[in-house]
Amino acid sequence: MVVSLGCRLEEGEMMRTLLVLGFSLFSVVAAAQESASVNPFAKSMADFKQRVDEYMKLRDEITRKTPEVKETGDPAKIYAREKALGEAIGKARAGAKPGDILGADMAAHFKRILAEDWKARSPADRKALFNELPKGVTITINRPYPPTLPLVSVPPKLLAMLPMLPEALEYRLIDRYFLLRDRDANLVIDMLSGVLPQRDR
Amino acid sequence: MRVSHALFAAALSIGGLTCVAATPVNPSASAASQRSAAPPPRASQVAPPVEKDSVRFAIIGDTGTGTSSQYQVGAELTKARQTFPFEFVIMLGDNIYGSERPQDFVTKFEKPYQALLDAKVPFYAALGNHDDPTQRYYKPFNMNGERYYTFSKGSARFFVLDSNYMDQTQLKWLEEQLSRANDRWKIAYFHHPLYSSGEKHGSEVDLRTQVEPLFMKYGVDVVFAGHEHFYERIKPQNGIYYFIEGGSAKLRKGDIQKGGPLTANGFDTDFSFMLAELGKDAMQFQVLSRGGKPVDSGTLRLAEEPDKPAQSKPASR
Repeated sequence: MVVSLGCRLEEGEMMRTLLVLGFSLFSVVAAAQESASVNPFAKSMADFKQRVDEYMKLRDEITRKTPEVKETGDPAKIYAREKALGEAIGKARAGAKPGDILGADMAAHFKRILAEDWKARSPADRKALFNELPKGVTITINRPYPPTLPLVSVPPKLLAMLPMLPEALEYRLIDRYFLLRDRDANLVIDMLSGVLPQRDR
Repeated sequence: MRVSHALFAAALSIGGLTCVAATPVNPSASAASQRSAAPPPRASQVAPPVEKDSVRFAIIGDTGTGTSSQYQVGAELTKARQTFPFEFVIMLGDNIYGSERPQDFVTKFEKPYQALLDAKVPFYAALGNHDDPTQRYYKPFNMNGERYYTFSKGSARFFVLDSNYMDQTQLKWLEEQLSRANDRWKIAYFHHPLYSSGEKHGSEVDLRTQVEPLFMKYGVDVVFAGHEHFYERIKPQNGIYYFIEGGSAKLRKGDIQKGGPLTANGFDTDFSFMLAELGKDAMQFQVLSRGGKPVDSGTLRLAEEPDKPAQSKPASR
């Protein structure tokens, strides 16, 4: 192929072509080697990011039909928008099940991060967190976060270890669950259960 | 900028800021002895502002219960404004407890503070753990649709944080905002206290490791928080004065640890609110119970030259 091309190329051009082909071949080989040795955590992270992006794409489409509320003195408008957004997302994701966004592969990473964070906390810190966490709660995907329960603050050091999320989404802890919550829809969009230790009764 | 307590300078010397007690506060007084103090006679005991053109504001926290105590504190705030004409109110979170239906905003915010709202007194809210973040769209809370934001009043800049969710994005924003602020006063407020003598919650150590270095680096003067259902003035920490005012509608009686190392003064036997005045080189503060009884007061004095720009502060701060 190179030879036949060379029939129509000047010598300099032929050299450039050979170099380009050589680099292309090198790149293909390098990419193949890279994919063989890819960090499994990085792969899980990339997949998680992709699932989050897909959720956000769906959310953006829905948001076009239920536009974001501008500042208003009428709380009924805020309430109505939250409800409409939550219902629309729930409808669009009917059948969503645990792990759809967090992912089975990432679940192990999240659990490890949570366990390490817990282990690093002082007994006083653990007690304080336990005091804050609502207990005896049943959480369901595509249902609102229980509207009368507090949103327990997620420890900043823990947040720093978790993958960043778009502003519309947040991680939350409640009872022994680790959640992904859509902030403006007050909707549980994914969860891991049993991630926090059982409190000594 | 920093504050120290002039009356107890030996015990509380912290550098550039000085706190002078206007209503004498016994530095050795524990929360317990404050609790046992005899109530003063009922009269308007609100101190008027001491400086012309100062920034005057009220501080309330953990308010949104809709209970009679919230209404009583609201009425006392209105009464206090006759003597101390504050321009605005800062809310330290837990603005609406429980359900957040439209009517809850009426019964847990609009009605208790109706007189102030009618007088066009603006409120600036921080989010608490009981607050749905969609409160940021509620215009009377003046959050500009943001979970965390900043605003200025006269010589002061206020940094309002969402301590429920202190992610890297917010931390980056905070540092950016603090670094560019050259206001005379830098005040931060949010829901969770970095220092607290509360038995139930206590200090938010995790949060503290993230934000206090920034407060120190960029010279935040005073920090207000709620969450604990009482009033507490913390002994100065790293050159910063910390206040907790989470007892404006909720009360956790007797929750302040007796003889704790952090407490400069505490009040956990009744509901309370704060009034503050930022002057040229001093902050006056007073704390009143729902019955108008003085609980605490003092002066935090800036020791720096008034015209000294913030950027020229020692890096060690």
